[in-house]
Order: sequence, then C-alpha cells, then structure tokens
Amino acid sequence: MGIVDLTSMAEGQTTLRNEINERLSKLQNEISDYCFQCAKCTSGCEAHKLLELEPHKVVALLKRGLIDELVNSDVIWTCMSCFKCRERCPQKVAPVEILFALKNMAVASGKQIPGKYTAMLQSVLSIGLIQDVQIVSTRDNKTKKRDDFGLPGVSKPVDAAKFQTAITKLAVEKV
Amino acid sequence: MTKYALYPGCVMPTEQYAYEVSIREVLPLLNIDLVDVEGFSCCGEPMKSMNQLMALYLSARNLALAERQDLDLYVPCPMCHLSLSECQRVMKSNTEMRDRMNGMLASEDLQYNGSIDIVHTVDLLHDHIGIEKIKKRVKKPLAGLKVATHYGCHLIRPSEIGRPVDSENPQKMETILKVLGAESLDYPEKLDCCGAMLSANLPESALAKTGQKLQKVQEQGFDVFVDVCPWCHRMFDSKQVKAGETVAAKLEMPVVYLTQLLGLALGVKKEKLGLELNLSPVDKLKLGDK
Repeated sequence: MGIVDLTSMAEGQTTLRNEINERLSKLQNEISDYCFQCAKCTSGCEAHKLLELEPHKVVALLKRGLIDELVNSDVIWTCMSCFKCRERCPQKVAPVEILFALKNMAVASGKQIPGKYTAMLQSVLSIGLIQDVQIVSTRDNKTKKRDDFGLPGVSKPVDAAKFQTAITKLAVEKV
Repeated sequence: MTKYALYPGCVMPTEQYAYEVSIREVLPLLNIDLVDVEGFSCCGEPMKSMNQLMALYLSARNLALAERQDLDLYVPCPMCHLSLSECQRVMKSNTEMRDRMNGMLASEDLQYNGSIDIVHTVDLLHDHIGIEKIKKRVKKPLAGLKVATHYGCHLIRPSEIGRPVDSENPQKMETILKVLGAESLDYPEKLDCCGAMLSANLPESALAKTGQKLQKVQEQGFDVFVDVCPWCHRMFDSKQVKAGETVAAKLEMPVVYLTQLLGLALGVKKEKLGLELNLSPVDKLKLGDK
C-alpha cells in the first residue's frame, strides 16, 4: 500500500469517512451546544495573532452544520495545536479537537494535503519515523553523523511489512 | 540505579543529537539507568492532523513495546509525551477502543494493559530524582546566569490529560535551575508557542512565531534560553537566524537544552554535552571554561 491509497483513493475511504462523520456529529450535537461564544479561545489563540484563526467561529460554524465549508477551508490548517483553547475554555469545548476532526475529514475526502504532511506520512509508512537519520552541522560548519557521537542505532519497527500492514489497515478499512 | 526504557521518538534520534547526547551523559550521574528498546516507531502526534486513529494506534504500539520490557517509559520529547499520555488515558478509560487497538496490536504479537508510567525530563529530574539529590551533585554552580525557560505547549497542556507541570504557571524548571545556581525569571511571553507545528505547511509563519518570542526574550536581557523539546529547540536554536529575519531582528540568543546546562553544573566537560551542535551563539556564555 502506498501513499495514494492512504490519502486520495476515495472509494476505500468510505468507512473511515463515516467514522470521522460520527465524531463530527457528536461534536456538533453534544459539545458545540455548550459554547456561548465568549471567545476566550480566540483571545489566547497562537494562530489568531498571526494567521486570523478564530476558534470560536469554527465552533459556531460547526454548530450550524457548515461542515463541508470548514473542511474545504484553508484556515483549519493554520492551527498550531498549542492547546490553549482546550485548556482555557470555561465550557470544555476544545476547539483544537474539532479542528483535528475537520482536518482528518479533509484528508479522508481526498482533498489536497498541504505542505510536507504527505512526506511525513510516507516516511512513517516506510521506516516508522517521520524522517530518517540526518547529517547535521556544528557551529563551526563541520558535518557530523549520529555515529560520531557514539550513539546506538535508532529504534525502528523490526518487521517493516507487519508494521505497514497494520497502519495501512487503519486508513482504508474498518478493523 | 532506577531503570527506565528510553523512548527517543523521531526528531531527537534523527537530528537533535545534542539532547540525546546530554541525556545519556547526565542522567546516569543521577542514578538513572536508560534501557534501549528495539522496534519503536513514531508516536503518532505529527500524524494526528491526517488520521487520529493512526496516531492512537502508533502510541498504543509503543506503549505495548515498553510494557513488554516491564519498564516505565522516559520520553524526552513533549509531543511524544502528550501522545503517549493521551493514548494511555484512552486505553484505561475506553474499553471498546482498548479492545480494538489490542486486536490490531496482535498482528505484531503485542498488547497493552496500561501498567506503565510515562515521565518527561522535567518531572524525572524534579519529582523522581528530586531537587535535593541534584543539589548535592552540583560542582560548578551557574552563578549569576539569567535564564529564560521554555516548556513547550505539549508539555503543559491540556492539563485534563495529565501533564507533568502546571499549565498556566509552570515552575519546575525554575526550581531546578535555582539549585544549579542560576537566576531564573518569569517573562510575559513564557507560555508562547514556538510555532513548530506549522513547519509542515506554513514554514514562514512558524519561523515568525519563533522570532517574535525570541526577540522579546533578547530585549529583556536574558543570558540564555533553555528548552526541553527537540521540536522547539530546532526552531529556537537551529533556525534562529532565519527566525530573526522574519521579524527583522538580529537574534543572538544562546539556546541550550536543560540537560546540557545541568551537565555543565554537574561538572561534565562541555565536549561531552554536544554543545558544538548548538547553532545559536552559546560561546558567549563562557560556560564550562571556569
């Protein structure tokens, strides 16, 4: 299974989409009702200061059922998951978790995944880690490898095939 | 010696060698025995935006590997620490999800019963090793060093999941630094995010977050900026010059890992703490030369 199957093959993703839909409906019907739009989430939001993310509006839109509009919007990808909104919400609404569910839905619906997320996923699939061992530079521009510091080999999944089968299953079918 | 399985994660063992080198050098001096375990994978947290279920499975898998060794888990990366702690909570409270995860783990002959504890560098030092023990081992106090601390968002929030330090007024690093002889002061931007999570899709904005925070720290006259997260350190140290450019500031702020500073205070030679790998101007601290 490659990256294509995991992210953009809409056919195999039906079950996954249903599951995320259930999660979103629960957030919409049960949790967003507690929100009284005090905007405490937005006042502390790290992404708001820089990128105009307004978590309280995301909650309001979800409450009104505008899920497709949110899933198609770029703004859900500006959250830097600092968890301040979840920590400070007086009603325990957790906008950050709503944003995670919306992003999951965007991916499961075959939308374009922004930036390097696809590369990270690809790397996890092939070696179990988001990136392989890097050659780094010292302050005086000498290159160094992990071995140069006497560090042991990096811990990775031993049986790559079994590992890949398990995580691929999660993305494309109900377990 | 107290034994812990070391869960290295992705960023530390593939790139942020200074953190790993200093951890492996310093913790044994405080009677911590770190055990390497084969087979770990990514904790899943960076995958959470794409597939939360996959993130949960990856965490459960790593917890199961540690449990098989019958060892508590030392997790130096706050992001991994949050992901594993959250998974721990789900596996303990949601039987349906636990059965589902264990059903999948069976394909690698694994299962998780929720028996292990998860610690991070800060609570390992502050709560498990203890301030008194650290105090007794200090050989070269960091006298007069003015330190700004940065905990990293994932280490302090969300407190609902159970984090090792307070979410709005974290002080454990300050307490540790005080017994090392340093002067650690609060500052208004202390809880601000480094922006690293945006590196994947909005790298310029990520750097701007880093630059904004570091600029304020520099203006307030701190000698050094201390962190405990490989993601944050990559932003504040490795990408400091670029971060400065995004806010039109010349940043010259020494940034070190807490374990590096601790090592110096315990009398470890600086060559053994990976200090050559810090790309920020740590030379101006004259650390370890006394």
